[in-house]
Amino acid sequence: MVLENTIEEREFLVIHPLDDVQEQKIETKHLGPMKMTPAVRISLLVLRGYLVLMMLLVLYHVLDLAGAFGKA
Amino acid sequence: MNYTSIQSSAIPATPRGIVVRNRWARNLLSFLMVFGPGLIVMEADNDAGAVSTYVQAGAQYGIHLLWLLVLLLPITYFIQEMVVRLGIATGQGHAAMIYTRFGKWWGLFSLVDLQLLNFLTLVTEFAAIALALEHLNISPSIGVPVAACALTLLVLTGSYRRWERIVVFLCLLDLAWFALAFYAHPATGEIVRNTFVPSIPAGGLTASLVFLVVGIVGTTIAPWQLFFQQSCIADKRLRFADLKWARLDTLIGATFTIIVAGCMMMTGNAALRHGFSFTDPAQMAADLGKVFGPWFRTGILLLMINAAVLGTTAISLSSAWAYGEVRGWPHSLQKSIKDAPGFYGVYVLCVGAAAGLVLIPKAPLQLIILSVQVLAGIMLPSAIIFLQLLLNDREMLGERFANKPWNNVVNWTIIIVLFALSLVLAIQVVAPKLFPAG
Repeated sequence: MVLENTIEEREFLVIHPLDDVQEQKIETKHLGPMKMTPAVRISLLVLRGYLVLMMLLVLYHVLDLAGAFGKA
Repeated sequence: MNYTSIQSSAIPATPRGIVVRNRWARNLLSFLMVFGPGLIVMEADNDAGAVSTYVQAGAQYGIHLLWLLVLLLPITYFIQEMVVRLGIATGQGHAAMIYTRFGKWWGLFSLVDLQLLNFLTLVTEFAAIALALEHLNISPSIGVPVAACALTLLVLTGSYRRWERIVVFLCLLDLAWFALAFYAHPATGEIVRNTFVPSIPAGGLTASLVFLVVGIVGTTIAPWQLFFQQSCIADKRLRFADLKWARLDTLIGATFTIIVAGCMMMTGNAALRHGFSFTDPAQMAADLGKVFGPWFRTGILLLMINAAVLGTTAISLSSAWAYGEVRGWPHSLQKSIKDAPGFYGVYVLCVGAAAGLVLIPKAPLQLIILSVQVLAGIMLPSAIIFLQLLLNDREMLGERFANKPWNNVVNWTIIIVLFALSLVLAIQVVAPKLFPAG
């Protein structure tokens, strides 16, 4: 009962995020590059190779379709 | 904190806050104030390319692939939920995070890839606007520049809130797809069955079906979405306490988008039922207009333009935010042109160049569309890998915001599936002869 009365007396102020005081976020600038295990490092290296290969493949295909090699 | 519990006698004279008297009203208002980025990022992904893909799926395979959309709902939500956490925790955009935590090579690669893919996608958006305008008997040489100017004015008001309200309104215009889908009298029983019971369309698992399935997955989850929502959350300055509402916003956005996509498929299905063969969405609109009336045709064409406009503003902003973050320029919709010239310059350049390219006679649009599909397929899984690694970065995020073990199981499963699909898409487009004809 007491609790209900207390709630009834309360009011809530709702503030839009853009009108609110700016909150302190997690600081990332001092962290630098992420520490990675050798497995993650190797996986990212493989991913880099895959992406470069695929991009070259796409570039070749697009140039081919555009008639850069004199076939299209 | 976004809300403060205070005694009625002690309400501070805060000019921009709203006082409410019960928790229910407080929660509703808090949600409405946070609502926006989740709906926009999801619905803007139902862009011109998505309209084309979904109606094509309906026109070729009926509503047999509705179950696929249901499967994509949790995938889109889980991916974007990670972005929400990262954005709220750090208050920074995705491009800045990749630069900070993975170094220059990956930072530059992600940025260049994003900018290239975004620009090519923007060209397809304007191509769709031009196509729809042509069918509405409006000259694209007038309509496309007008659309580009309107899209530029949309962001130049110096108010995030104004931009958000207009874009949320444009998102809600997509409710008209419900009217189109249901006016076409779909069989309710079939819809329910195809939504919840996975089935393969008659004709079996052909190469063209596989290609379309990959296309649907690719169009439902796009790389720019990761960059866009995180930057949008940072720009809106969402607070730690807003996390649950931002998650709800994202879930509502994902659900709304998937249902709208289903309605597009059902509209395409009407073309199949009436024996029209599919060439493009504008032609399909013209065909269906003969059956259901001119308003049906006009409705589809206007919704195509709306989809392209939504896609264009979101994609251009993701480019402008990402570039601004990496260059250290001021990058906020809250700033005026004078205060953030680089940020607005990138936006205007993206919109203007894409619109200009579309107006060039004999521009290689088909080649551009093809490049978008392949590049998106290549970029998406790798972008999600970085997201996953960032969300496991306990040194940065701590236990509160980092992924839980169940998050990781779900996300790695999604990554493996997306990698397999992207590989299929890339190989199929680059070397189509490797696959049997469908």
